[in-house]
Formats: sequence, structure tokens, C-alpha cells
Amino acid sequence: MPIYRFKVPADSVPYEQREKIAVDVTDVHCGSTLAPRHFVHVFFDEQPEGGADYPTRYYLDAINRAGRPQEVKDKLLDNLLNAFVRHTGIPRDQISGRIGETPASWAMEGGQVLPEPGQETAEWYAEVTAD
Amino acid sequence: MITYNCTIQEGVIPEGQRRILNERLVQIGAHVLGVAPDDITVNYEVIPRGFGFRGGELSTSSSVRSRIPDGFSQEKRVEFMQAVQDMWIEVTGQTTAELVVGAADASYDNYRQ
Repeated sequence: MPIYRFKVPADSVPYEQREKIAVDVTDVHCGSTLAPRHFVHVFFDEQPEGGADYPTRYYLDAINRAGRPQEVKDKLLDNLLNAFVRHTGIPRDQISGRIGETPASWAMEGGQVLPEPGQETAEWYAEVTAD
Repeated sequence: MITYNCTIQEGVIPEGQRRILNERLVQIGAHVLGVAPDDITVNYEVIPRGFGFRGGELSTSSSVRSRIPDGFSQEKRVEFMQAVQDMWIEVTGQTTAELVVGAADASYDNYRQ
């Protein structure tokens, strides 16, 4: 967690761009949260052109832990969308997105129940980065 | 009703292991949460190679995100997630670092994907 899914038209984002976006998204997320880098998952779902029910041609559908202030989520989303634009060159108005949330205690990763945002302890961090 | 939505990376978990995972996931849902096996569904999504990343690198990770009936205690939810995690690692040989397990209330609608 988090899980970031970019919904994109088929064959519109080549591998080299996907890789750069994934690195940038990881940097953006870890720059504004205390998540370990390897907790950041980025997927690209290719959709038939015009066949998906999204407001824009490209779309970011994300899941984060619940509990962050709205202004933090808004800034995070904006930075994530800008990262996509930066590496693909698409106009900014062709991508939008949303950050869905799930209670941290409803998920396990790295063998541990996830802590609430801001409640990450040094012991937890050491435990989940031990591999 | 339990719905498991499993996301795996192409080439990481062979078909034979997926059959075992299906059986064991149904067993866990029935044993830990008391849901009838006929009311348990297991779905898979396979991420094509080159389309999934973790930490900015190509991913080998799996996730098992489930919808469970509302009303279970956190203790029971953790018991369920732990059972899924332990089973998945035993069957696939993946590590805890390669696995995300979730158990959301069926009525919770703040995410979709």
C-alpha cells in the first residue's frame, strides 16, 4: 500500500515511460509520507480506446491508507498526475484521478498490520524493511 | 459472502499453484469467518510483465484484497489476514515483503479499482 493504477489507452505508454513514471510516483509518494519505497505499487491497465468509464482519456485510480488531511491528499494527487504528464507529454487536462482510501488496520504488508498514517514507529519500519 | 481479488504478476505463480490457492482461500474463509464455501469467490488478475512495479522496479508482488461480511472484530480480521498470508507464502514461496493482504467490509465503498 499504496496502490496506484494508471488506466491508459492500449499502446499509449511505452515501457520506458512506464518505468520512469513508476520511479517518479514512488519518489512523490515517499516524499510526502513515511511509506517504505517497496510498499509503493504502480500498475498500468491498458483500456480499449473510448471503452472505459473514466472522465478523462488517462486516469489514476489509487488506494492509500485512510487518515491523511484532504490538503495532503490533494497535493499528492496533483504531484502524481504531474509526474505522469512529465514523462508522457500528454496535455494535463487529459488525465485526472482519485485517491480512494482503506483503513490501515484492514491491510497487512511486510507481514505486519499497517499502522495509521503518522503512527509508523522505528520498530515497524525496521521490521518491514528487514528483507 | 467473501470475494477475494488476487492480483499477481505474469509468470510468477503457475496455474497449478493457483488451483491450490483457490482451494485454500475457500477453506480459510469457511474456517476463520464461518462463510459457506458456495458463498466464496476467488478472482485473479494477472499483470502483464512490464506493467507492474514495486518501489520503482519491476514487481514480483502479489496482493489478495478481500471483501468480507461486515461486523467482524479487528481481532478476527487480523486472524483472517494472517491465515491468508501464511497460506499464500507456504504455497507460492513468496515472502511477506512480496505480499499485500487486505480484508475490507463488504459495505465499504471508498475505493474501487
